[in-house]
Amino acid sequence: MTVAASDADERLRNTGFLRRLLIRPELGSVVGGIAVFAFFSTQSAVFRSIDGVANWLDPASTLGIMAVAIALLMIGGEFDLSAGVLTGTSGLILVTLATRAGWNVWLAMLAGLAIALLIGFLNGLLVVRTRLPSFIVTLGTFLMLQGLNLGVTKAITGTVQVSGLRAAPGYEGARAVFAGSVTLGGTGFRVAIVWWLAVTVIATWVLMRTRPGNWIFAVGGNEQAARAVGVPAARVKIGLFMTTAGAAWLVGSILALRFTSVQANSGIGQEFIYIIAAVIGGCLLTGGYGSAVGAAIGAVIFGMADKGIVFAGWDSDWFKFFLGAMLLLATLANRLVKKYAEEVRH
Amino acid sequence: MLEVRNIVKHFPGVRALDGVDLDVRAGEVHCLLGQNGAGKSTLIKILAGAHQPDSGTISFDDKPIRLATPTAAMRAGIATIYQELDLVDGLSVAENVFLGHEHSRFGFNRRGESRRATAGLLARLGHPEIPPDAEVGGLSPAAKQIVSMARALSHDARLIIMDEPSAALAHDEVANLFRIIRDLAAHGVSVVYISHRLEEIREIGDRVTVLKDGRAVASGLPAHDTPTREIVSLMTGRSIEHAFPDRTGAEFGDDVLRVTELTIPGVVDRVSFTVRAGEIVGLAGLVGSGRSEILEAVYGARPASGTVTVRGRPVRGGPHGAVRLGLGLAPEERKAQALLLDQSVAANITLATLGNHARFGWIDRRGERAAARRLIETLDVRPPDLDRPIRTLSGGNQQKAVLARWLAEDRTVLLLDEPTRGVDVGARAELYALINRLAGQGIAILLVSSEVPEVLGLADRVLVIRDGRIIHQAPAADLDEHAVLDMIMEGSAL
Repeated sequence: MTVAASDADERLRNTGFLRRLLIRPELGSVVGGIAVFAFFSTQSAVFRSIDGVANWLDPASTLGIMAVAIALLMIGGEFDLSAGVLTGTSGLILVTLATRAGWNVWLAMLAGLAIALLIGFLNGLLVVRTRLPSFIVTLGTFLMLQGLNLGVTKAITGTVQVSGLRAAPGYEGARAVFAGSVTLGGTGFRVAIVWWLAVTVIATWVLMRTRPGNWIFAVGGNEQAARAVGVPAARVKIGLFMTTAGAAWLVGSILALRFTSVQANSGIGQEFIYIIAAVIGGCLLTGGYGSAVGAAIGAVIFGMADKGIVFAGWDSDWFKFFLGAMLLLATLANRLVKKYAEEVRH
Repeated sequence: MLEVRNIVKHFPGVRALDGVDLDVRAGEVHCLLGQNGAGKSTLIKILAGAHQPDSGTISFDDKPIRLATPTAAMRAGIATIYQELDLVDGLSVAENVFLGHEHSRFGFNRRGESRRATAGLLARLGHPEIPPDAEVGGLSPAAKQIVSMARALSHDARLIIMDEPSAALAHDEVANLFRIIRDLAAHGVSVVYISHRLEEIREIGDRVTVLKDGRAVASGLPAHDTPTREIVSLMTGRSIEHAFPDRTGAEFGDDVLRVTELTIPGVVDRVSFTVRAGEIVGLAGLVGSGRSEILEAVYGARPASGTVTVRGRPVRGGPHGAVRLGLGLAPEERKAQALLLDQSVAANITLATLGNHARFGWIDRRGERAAARRLIETLDVRPPDLDRPIRTLSGGNQQKAVLARWLAEDRTVLLLDEPTRGVDVGARAELYALINRLAGQGIAILLVSSEVPEVLGLADRVLVIRDGRIIHQAPAADLDEHAVLDMIMEGSAL
């Protein structure tokens, strides 16, 4: 009888290099990324220069940190719509504590981290305990945070922004670590890029090589089965929400330190962009499938499109159109490849 | 080895277990029988640590134990292979086997070790050809079952509970499953085996415990020589002498369904046949022979060449067109393809007839409910509660609701794909009687079943399908089980 592919030759072919490459979830985003790079390179010489690269890696990096965290969460089968506005909340807490209460910047950041993690924990707890869809739960927190950000900022400053971080104690050190630049071959690269790469590497390592990584795939792919074999599904999910919250804190802090001020409405509207980057990177909306590297590349595509349109001298109004087309093409490519890979296997 | 005493478990409104006892000896294959709703799954879940009993004791190796979580049960050496929701499709075979108890050191998974251990377990199960790196989602149902079993063994389980392991398997795969179970038992592993198929229990089981209404009505019966009639009457509280209705003397009308040269490249090859009004035609064949595909193509749910006509009018435009010409399909995967599980019984029954109960675009709820009520009374759907979510009904009653849907409209032709899958013995007889009655009303019925006795017992005429072709057709009365099995298995890879 044949239960699976039975002879040894077929097994060797099954794990062939090309096929293994083809079934990687990030394939669509890699192909898309190369295409987008090639396209804008023909449109603008600056785009493909080292300065150009440094320029478009900057938006890719802050977006990428979030996209990677959201990808982990989506592989675990959940969404977080509050992640975007939480970057604003974290920044506002940092700047407010440092400028209005006179806290050291490092201490203010720590407080921001604690609050962000608490919000992530509550998101996770609500989802796990109530079994409501995370889409709804985090839509609730999203709106509540949006209101809090605006209301509290206005009550404290009378305006819709807090500023003046530059004068706060500990600012220079924190700025160097989170919002500085490193010069490489005469070109300044933002430190955020290093953070982004670090987050991507750690996330990939967790996903591919650790027990919690297996558990993330398991709770997203088949939660009941995961529970039945003793995977602590609730802890995994809460952990994932706290991870996104932690990433939002990191990005919020980077941006606050960079601009020294934070708008009360910052981060709003970003939550879908994170999800889009993760989906371009191969994540399924249904969970159980995806990749951190893919999400990071999805963010690169965004960065390239964002700056590339400017370099090419076009009207930036076309950015969103471009994104939509990119999203559709990348997901279609992912789907075709996945189908092909499954057919080869049978 | 396992002693369960006086287990009671309540769920809101239901006493699922009402003082159940169960004894399993070391190295024994102990069969658990009972109708849907008898308490089998609750008992399994308690043994698996997924539910906690309200009262009662469980001891394992003469020591009382508490199975507080699934992990605790596995540590104790009890592994459960559920019928569904068992594996994570996106993970590899090795990752599934060791999910929840991964080999790891310093935070790194030792994947080489997991792979080696998995390969060893698969070899022990007689399936060294399953690659430990393969993604589970791409495996056949039989291979998935082997992976589940490897997982049970990876916990050094000394008691393995199998919930209807044969339900998803073809004939030859069941034989292999039995070989593995015998091997496990020979090594002192006990198996609690749950199945609806009595013939399997005779073949593999040592002793039988019968559950009914949350109690063990008989325990420790010898599996080989307890008469079927006795087992069935224990399960149902009544005896079923004639499971299949008597079809002699059934009268047929004109050809209603005419299928000509139906072809699906690579699957079905120029199949032609007719079904008369009031006639039941059965398709007998192995899984993968093309029998279900023929049904789907007739229904327009699968692209195919050739023609299908109902009363001379060609079926066009997919299932919508098929339904308009009076076809109805009760698909094989009831839960996935036929039911809105969270909706009420009423809503599920009237799904296909919304058009009849809509006036000026508004759905006539009252008319809809009245029609549904008449149907569940006619079909004896239990409990007869229109508002209950259909998820909470037993398999047999869900299937009745699917059939009721098509009765709500006058159907000319009904296509039934595995109508009794996952349905217990008692409810089967009722479904058979119901199908018989539908044919009596002049409906042409085309039936697919993997159980040859069912096709022979129910159909008037049998078409034997192999490799996408009709290789034989004859009145059911002229065929016996052996002859049909020989035909459908001949040339298949055994």
